Order: sequence, then structure tokens, then C-alpha cells
Amino acid sequence: MSTSSLLLTLLGDARLPSGGHAQSAGLEPALRAGTTAAQVPAYLRARLRTVIRVEAGTAVVARAVAAGGGDLGEVEAAWAARTPSQALRANGRRLGRGYLRVLQTLWPGPFDARAGTWSRPVVLGLLAHRAAMAPADVARLVGYDDVQSVTAALLKLEPQDPLVIAAWVKDLLPDIDEMAAQVAPLHTPEQIPAHGAPLIERWAETHDTTTERLFSA
Amino acid sequence: MPENTTAPTRAMRLGVAGPVGTGKSSLIATLCQALSGELRLGVITNDIYTDEDARFLKSAGVLDPERIRPVETGACPHTAIRDDVTANLLAAEDLEADFGPLDLVIIESGGDNLTATFSPALVDAQLFVLDVAGGGDVVRKGGPGIARADLLVINKTDLGPYVGVDVERMAREGREARRGSPVVALSRHDAASIRVLTSWVRDTLTHYRTGEHTPVDPGPMAPHFHADQDGEGSHPHTHDDGTDHARYQAAANAGQSA
Ligand SMILES: Nc1nc2c(ncn2[C@@H]2O[C@H](COP(=O)(O)OP(=O)(O)OP(=O)(O)O)[C@@H](O)[C@H]2O)c(=O)[nH]1
Ligand SMILES: [Mg+2]
Repeated sequence: MSTSSLLLTLLGDARLPSGGHAQSAGLEPALRAGTTAAQVPAYLRARLRTVIRVEAGTAVVARAVAAGGGDLGEVEAAWAARTPSQALRANGRRLGRGYLRVLQTLWPGPFDARAGTWSRPVVLGLLAHRAAMAPADVARLVGYDDVQSVTAALLKLEPQDPLVIAAWVKDLLPDIDEMAAQVAPLHTPEQIPAHGAPLIERWAETHDTTTERLFSA
Repeated sequence: MPENTTAPTRAMRLGVAGPVGTGKSSLIATLCQALSGELRLGVITNDIYTDEDARFLKSAGVLDPERIRPVETGACPHTAIRDDVTANLLAAEDLEADFGPLDLVIIESGGDNLTATFSPALVDAQLFVLDVAGGGDVVRKGGPGIARADLLVINKTDLGPYVGVDVERMAREGREARRGSPVVALSRHDAASIRVLTSWVRDTLTHYRTGEHTPVDPGPMAPHFHADQDGEGSHPHTHDDGTDHARYQAAANAGQSA
């Protein structure tokens, strides 16, 4: 199964109105805690190996469960169990509502009454099923979106040459593909990876109560 | 016939846009003070760097602080009210879920520039706020908010004498720029002007509820001129939907070939 590359482009485009423009993917509190701009590629690789593997794995499993007519509530519970930060769970669910609006408009159909409480990866999995996306592609979408959220936010937080940042993204594409290939075969909630990133989680909690901030998370 | 003839089931959403410091938050505080006895209100602020606006409104004591929600805009205040309204829509939904039913949700844009206006996907009606301290010529500079917001507010009229601005004239030029659409000359120190503002809000809400009010998109682009090839009949126009221009162009072409 292969996904239309233009469909993937549409969903990965920062201009998709899903609420992503107010997201820094944890970068704003990371910089505030002392991370330097030069460390951002390393920060991104760390995310791709930890929290983003959880997100991508969840999306792949949600897609498989939706395809099999199973209960996405179980996938949501598995994601929540692997997302210890309450701030990250709340943000993931806000993003889920944003993607639900995209899904309802672009791929209309009946919805589970609980869909409005599901996190981004679960809604993306459902979207991937409706839109006939391949498992690896929904995982690549999650990884790519994360990398772009961080780098776009960096341009707002510590302005520098945007082309240098674009080159970082290009260099990270193989890392995204690798992560996607690893999670693509997953099918059931218990297979979702359970990596933690304690600093990222702690920064997310701090950010949640910060008043001077540009990004919601 | 407006297509929306059944009574809407949610609160009317009123956008308040305008450049930095023109008095948007103060105007919202004034509205809350005047209307909270008769209407169930909620407020959303779109701050750029901080939650300053939300804090100001909470501390103004004009509304239960829980009913005032800040939304982050990722340093793009215009995106949050136009290109991607998700965060604001979710905040409006949350306010209604938590305190509903509400009558009116007021959304303050992050003070931006003259081109920032709300998408009709987010608000049902919008007002655009200028102040006299910004200079009497700002209305003549035009822009979608000045020309086509549902209401243009010329604020801080009490400052007119101190900044050498003829308020009457500024309001008149505002009306001209808007081809007669409403303009309110407002000062928080002028009770009569506040009554004009609040009755506009009440009337708009009434029309919204009966389905007679249709949200309009002021559009991100100001009216502008294209000189006709024959040098005659140049006219200001807008590209609200792209069709006007095509029509004028077609007419011009037809004229040439005839
Ligand atoms: N003289 C006078 N000052 C006013 C009036 N309304 C507001 N102000 C003052 O104008 C300043 C800016 O008011 P705000 O309400 O914060 O303006 P704003 O448009 O919300 O500002 P931003 O959110 O920063 O864009 C404050 O110092 C207010 O006290 C008025 O009617 N008359
Ligand atoms: Mg303000």
C-alpha cells in the first residue's frame, strides 16, 4: 500500500489549518532551560527516539485498530499511559481536536462520540485509515511535523538564517524514515513503544504555568 | 433570503481587531461592564508575548476571571484569527462547554497591523478599533478592517484636543471610506458614546439570533486601483472573492475587442 505523495504533502504542510502554528514541540521551554540553538538537531534526534516514537507508534496502531473496527479508546489509553506529563497529554488532546476538525471536513463520516477527547496520534491514525494512508507514511508524517514544528518555532524564538534550519531538516529526513520504519509494523496497543524523555516532560510541565510564552507547548 | 434562517444554537462571536494600543482590551472591559448584567459573556484574548491582555481584563473585575481565556499565537497573531483559527475556535467551544449557554463571546486579536482581520470561520461580526492618538490620517490609509469591518471604532476621542486631531472629521472620513457603514467615535469617558457602542452590539446580536446577520469577510487586502488600459474608469475595488476583478477584466477586454 502506498500513500499519494501529494496527500502526504498536504498533511505535512505547515499551512494546514490544524492549530500547529502555536506549537514549538517543546522547544520554547527547552531554550529557556538552557538548550542552545546549536543543540537543536540533537534535541530533535532525541525526540525522534523517544516521545515521537511513542506518538508515531500510537498513530500507526490507531490506524490498524480503526481498520479492524476495534476500539480506539484502548489506543488512547495506551498513549496516555506512555505520556506521563499531564501538560503533554492536555496539549496532545487539544491537537487531536484540531485534527478532528480537519478530518471532519476533508474526510467526513460518522464519529465515535469520544473522538473529541482523543489525542493527536489517535485522531491521525483514524485519519490515516479514512484517507487510505500507509502505516509508515502516517509515522513519517508525525516525525516530519515534529521536526518542522521545532525548527519553525526556532525561527521565532532565536531568529537566524532560515536556510540553515531547512538544511537541518533535510539532514534529519533519514532519521524520520528510520523511526517510521521501526514503528510501521505495529498493530496492537501493547506494542506501542514506551520511551520516556524526563527533561522534555518536565519542561512541558514548567511551560504550562509560564505566562510569558509565544507557543502553547 | 439569508440561508441561515433558523436560530443559531451557539453564542455570537464578536471579534475586536485593530493596531497595538488602540484600546481593544479597554473597550472589551467597557462592554463587559455594560452588558454582563443582561448577557452571558465569555472573552478570549490573543496575546503575542504574554497573557497581559487576559490579566488586564481579569484584574479589571468586570467578568468572572474563569470566563477570560488567553490563546497563544506562536508569534503570528494574524494567523490565529485568519489562516488557522483552530486554537480560538477550541477556546470558544471550551468556554461554552464550561459556562454555556453563553450569549456573546468576545475575541480580542493580538494587536497587529492594519491588515489583520478576523476570518468569518471564527467570528460572526467584528469591530476594528483605531484611536485618535494614532493620527487623524489613519482612516485614509484604508485597509480591510477600516473599510469593511462590521463597525469601525474611533477610540479615545477625549484625546483629540491634545493630539491635534479633529475627531468629527476623522469619523466623517471613516464613514466615507466605509461607504456609509457604521462608525462609532468612542471614549471610555463619554457615557453617550458607550451607549452607542452597546446598542450596536445588542442590535447585531438580535440580528444574529434571527438569522438576519451574515458574517462578512473584510478580506486581507485593501481596496486598490488598477489603471484601465484606456486610462478611463479606474475604480477602487477589492478581491473579496476574486470574481469582481475577473468581471472587470472581462468587461475591459470585451470593450477593447468591440
Ligand atoms: N484617554 C483614553 N485612553 C484610553 C481609552 N481607552 C483606552 N485607553 C488607554 O489606551 C492604552 C491602551 O489600551 P488597551 O485597552 O490596553 O489597548 P489594546 O488595543 O488592548 O492594546 P494591545 O492589546 O496591546 O494591542 C491604555 O493606557 C488605556 O488606558 C480612552 O477611551 N481614552
Ligand atoms: Mg489588549
